[in-house]
Amino acid sequence: MFLPDNYEFLCPVKTNSGNRALEHLPFELEALSARKPLIVTDKTVTGQGVIRKMINAFKDSGVTIGIFDSMPDVPDMQLVTELSNIYRNGEHDAIVALGCGSIVDVAKVVNIAASYSVKILRDLAGDNLIAHPLSPFVVVPTLAGTGYETSKFAFIENLTFSSYFLMPDLVVVDARMVRSESVETTVATAMVALAHAAEAYTGPAKNPLADSYAYAAIQYVKDNLMNVLKKPRDTDGRLALANAASMAGCAFSNMQPGLLHILGEAINAMFHIASGICMGILLPYGLEYTIQKNGYHTHDVLLPLSGFDEYAGTADNLKAEKAVNIMYEMQQDLYTVTGGKIPRTLEEAKIPKYMVNDIAEKVFKNGAKEFGIDDYRMVLEHAWEGKPMSWD
Amino acid sequence: MGDYREVQAGSKPLKRSYIAVMLWFVGRAIQAAARVDKAVREEFEQLPEGFSFALGVEPHGPYMIVGKNQKGRVKYLGWKIEDKHIDLKLKIKNIEAAVLLFTFQESTTVASARDRLIVDGEVPHACAAVRILDIVEVYLLPKLIARLAVKRYPIWSFRRKYIGRTRIYFRSLLGY
Repeated sequence: MFLPDNYEFLCPVKTNSGNRALEHLPFELEALSARKPLIVTDKTVTGQGVIRKMINAFKDSGVTIGIFDSMPDVPDMQLVTELSNIYRNGEHDAIVALGCGSIVDVAKVVNIAASYSVKILRDLAGDNLIAHPLSPFVVVPTLAGTGYETSKFAFIENLTFSSYFLMPDLVVVDARMVRSESVETTVATAMVALAHAAEAYTGPAKNPLADSYAYAAIQYVKDNLMNVLKKPRDTDGRLALANAASMAGCAFSNMQPGLLHILGEAINAMFHIASGICMGILLPYGLEYTIQKNGYHTHDVLLPLSGFDEYAGTADNLKAEKAVNIMYEMQQDLYTVTGGKIPRTLEEAKIPKYMVNDIAEKVFKNGAKEFGIDDYRMVLEHAWEGKPMSWD
Repeated sequence: MGDYREVQAGSKPLKRSYIAVMLWFVGRAIQAAARVDKAVREEFEQLPEGFSFALGVEPHGPYMIVGKNQKGRVKYLGWKIEDKHIDLKLKIKNIEAAVLLFTFQESTTVASARDRLIVDGEVPHACAAVRILDIVEVYLLPKLIARLAVKRYPIWSFRRKYIGRTRIYFRSLLGY
């Protein structure tokens, strides 16, 4: 059992997960002294009938809710201004983000604007510049997400806000809200969770509390992703994946971004390929890279991936390699099950070979100097070719 | 602003009515069981004088209130909690959770473990109230359903189970 010499861990997020979990929302808001929430979502989510379930959940509570359901694909500060006006003029006292990704980011920034002022919003971008708790903030993910909803970060335009006050008070993971998603979205969500959890579990900031979140997240993804892809109506499986995303987000919030996260987000920004798909491609190569740095921790990741029997039956010096092989097998299985929709390599993701070097340079120049440019390049080149590093 | 709207949450009158009737009957059955069943009587004897507890749905009810007067007599005190001093509240978080509980898809203990039922008050008193509810459910429900609703279905004598059940039903309907 590994215990670091010193560590910190914070996860103030209350999670309410399960069948009909959404119905608890009025009670939980009342407990947060909130009587008139503003629900922020987009037309895609509304189109899935999810908003009706949300309204039904408030029945019998006597609560009036405000709904804004026109979140654009690329939100900007103008939208934040508009929403903070709605929040103030509507006398709302809590924000509920229904959905994931940019919906959550915008809701977080609106919450800052509601407590401070829109005028000084840009001055609050950065690390730990928010000085006091904000209004009650709830996230109801719809699986189209990344697990970032539980994180302390909010991204809008070119601004990054980072504060523990941005972590939601409550995340409601309801089985009915995470049902109808495309194959790509399901895989992307699961792979972001897996990548973040694996990085938390094997990274330099590894600690026993983050381990417990990461372990469960890895296990849930491994045990449920294939089932969900084969049986899209597997509600329990989807619920498990949504939980995995949420837990991985908590672990991720307590870490510095890892190599998989950095490269996955960079490729997403440059080529508009879902960051989860990118991280899924990079995952085994990232783990192979980690073995070189931190083999002992990497061999630990075999336990949630394979289960007790296989872990116990594998010699210590082969555990890390076996964990990586499971990741390669998983990649191949995803490719097969989805009929080739999920790429195994960066080449299959249609990223030109000559851009590999550009990605590495751009990442390094943009300030992600936790790793060397050669490290980025090495992982990217292997992931482009689909050639394990152990073959070198 | 055109994409913003306010929605007044509606209600679920059928489910509320069902829960209200169930709570009304369970309340009267507790009063009856306290007179008929020794174990229920002993549970109430352990509770302080003037003690009252409520079981109901947040945020606006319905509730059922049962209390013990100065003479130790157990009474069903109705469904309005506003004008009463309540020592212990067993609060079901919402009407859907109440439906799960009162359609016996989930026992009181499981509802509590799954955070659908929460307690305002002292835990030992809450445990006593749950034990009383379990006994009353065994009286009121056929074994097939009661097994789902209680922690462990007890083995009772014929006299206790069937004579007691008849007396409790009779007293509950007549309200004494």
